Amino acid sequence: MKTYLAIIKANWQRMLTYRFTILAYRIGEVIEIIILILMWSAIYSNQDIIKGFSLKEMLTYVLFGSLVHILIKNFVYDRVSEEIKNGKLSLFLIKPISYLGYTFALSVGQFFFITILSVITHLVVILFFIDKFILNFETLYLAVILIMVILAFIIEFLIAYLIGLIAFWTDETTGIYATISRLKKFFSGGYFPISLLPSIFVSVSLYFPFAYSFFVPSQIYLKKISIEDGLKGLITQIVWIVLLYLIIKIVWKKGIKKYEGVGI
Amino acid sequence: MREWVYKVQNLKEKIFMEKDVIIVKNLSKNYEYYKKEAGLLGSISNFFIREKKITQAVDNISFSITKGEIVGFLGPNGAGKTTTLKILSGIITQSSGECLVLGYIPQNLEYKYQRKFALVMGQKDQLWKDLPAMDSFILTKEIYGISNEDFKKNSRELIELLGISDIVNVQVRKLSLGQRMKCELVAALLHNPSVLFLDEPTIGLDVVAQKNIRDFLKQYNEKNKTTIMLTSHYMEDIKQLCDRVIIIDKGHIIYDGKLDSLIKKYTPHKILTVTFNGNGVSKEQIKKYGFVKKYNPYAILLEVEREKVKNIAMDILSSNLPVDDIIIDEVEIDDIARQIFMEEQKN
Repeated sequence: MKTYLAIIKANWQRMLTYRFTILAYRIGEVIEIIILILMWSAIYSNQDIIKGFSLKEMLTYVLFGSLVHILIKNFVYDRVSEEIKNGKLSLFLIKPISYLGYTFALSVGQFFFITILSVITHLVVILFFIDKFILNFETLYLAVILIMVILAFIIEFLIAYLIGLIAFWTDETTGIYATISRLKKFFSGGYFPISLLPSIFVSVSLYFPFAYSFFVPSQIYLKKISIEDGLKGLITQIVWIVLLYLIIKIVWKKGIKKYEGVGI
Repeated sequence: MREWVYKVQNLKEKIFMEKDVIIVKNLSKNYEYYKKEAGLLGSISNFFIREKKITQAVDNISFSITKGEIVGFLGPNGAGKTTTLKILSGIITQSSGECLVLGYIPQNLEYKYQRKFALVMGQKDQLWKDLPAMDSFILTKEIYGISNEDFKKNSRELIELLGISDIVNVQVRKLSLGQRMKCELVAALLHNPSVLFLDEPTIGLDVVAQKNIRDFLKQYNEKNKTTIMLTSHYMEDIKQLCDRVIIIDKGHIIYDGKLDSLIKKYTPHKILTVTFNGNGVSKEQIKKYGFVKKYNPYAILLEVEREKVKNIAMDILSSNLPVDDIIIDEVEIDDIARQIFMEEQKN
């Protein structure tokens, strides 16, 4: 545990040297949200309700969902695939530490740091649109959402890590990752609530992990999904975490046999 | 399977008996790759049909190394040196054969083994570039589970021995290559490994930094009895550090033994490099001193018999040639390797 705390701490220190880059990223996030708000406001100019969403609900969905989305974001894919491709993985293979644990600690370190800044910028945006934002301070709802976000963070990490491991077999992983990222964003409801699509779509999505990193937490916040269904969601997430972990174990074992540690 | 376990046990006993820290037996490694043709047409045809190729990086090599030895591992690029080091540290798995380091099979990636050896690569840095080296040392301390006392003692000793107390608190990417290499060495040695693999530790460094690192390694080995296996392109590294050398070429070991006898056996000559000023010299004027390997009017390379080299140098100095400088050198290690290899092929 102490080892991992040290890694988290070191990553904090490292990121502090990149203050400007991190702030610059936040500006991009804010612009993206404002574009979404403008777009939905334009769509709603002729109608009050679309598939059960009022404008206020839709904007809350966007603001809350993108906050969740930013919380669970990681940079694991780039790191893992790069380190396999350029042979830097070798340096971890010879150390008494698990690579999965090491990268996870790095992501957690990043999480804490970016979280604070993102939450601040996000709250500023929400405050700016406060008259269009629905407030929900019910502890039970917030508790379920919190656990869901933590699990979603772990799932996002495992998926990115798994895709990164493909670099054991081919150098060309970036295209795969970009495609999966877009699909992920679509299935998570990042572009628009998936409930705007046929209902079969939503019921299938609930068995996959993606919806829990945007759509479901936002819907719970809006009380459009009940607490009971939220708890079922948590179980689905845990099953996925176990599944992904096992897949990673197998893929890692096979990959490491293929690994040639190029460049050293 | 049982046979394998038996073999391993046999090897373990052997360590105990002979104090062999590293044992390598009939080790081979093949790499598979796809042939890539040049040009656009070639690339297009490769997109549809790929031809699989196999290269034998290491071919049936065997050797063993005893505790406290410093062994130079030499050979031209692509000879299989780094591949062997990678197998010994468990990064890659051999195609066939066995190896055992400190009684462990490296490919099992056991933490117990990993706490007992270190690998330093001249071209791969493990320090965090954005942080001062000291922060990376602390991280290493946690990863290896080094106690506070040991960390304090080891880091102080290493930092002192390398004379870098003033730079460990500077961001690593602001350091020079030589300074960075010294920090890398500290990070690698904090856990006091019994075996140290060094892959080109002095590559790209200036002469002074090279010497510093050599001196350090020598002292460190004498003090801690660390077994060191080192690859290098620089003859000087090998001469200063290693009593024993293993020369490898195209995956085969072509020499394993004392450095002295290697030099005596394969290089009855030394190289005299003489530079001239003024009008320079003509080829005729210097031919009588020895075989002229390279010639231009202002600098020549002479191959001279080992025993006669001093006298000939004196003769040249006392002649009326416009001598500017004279250097006596050993034949380059690559040349020796090439020579041995050619003789092997003849037989």
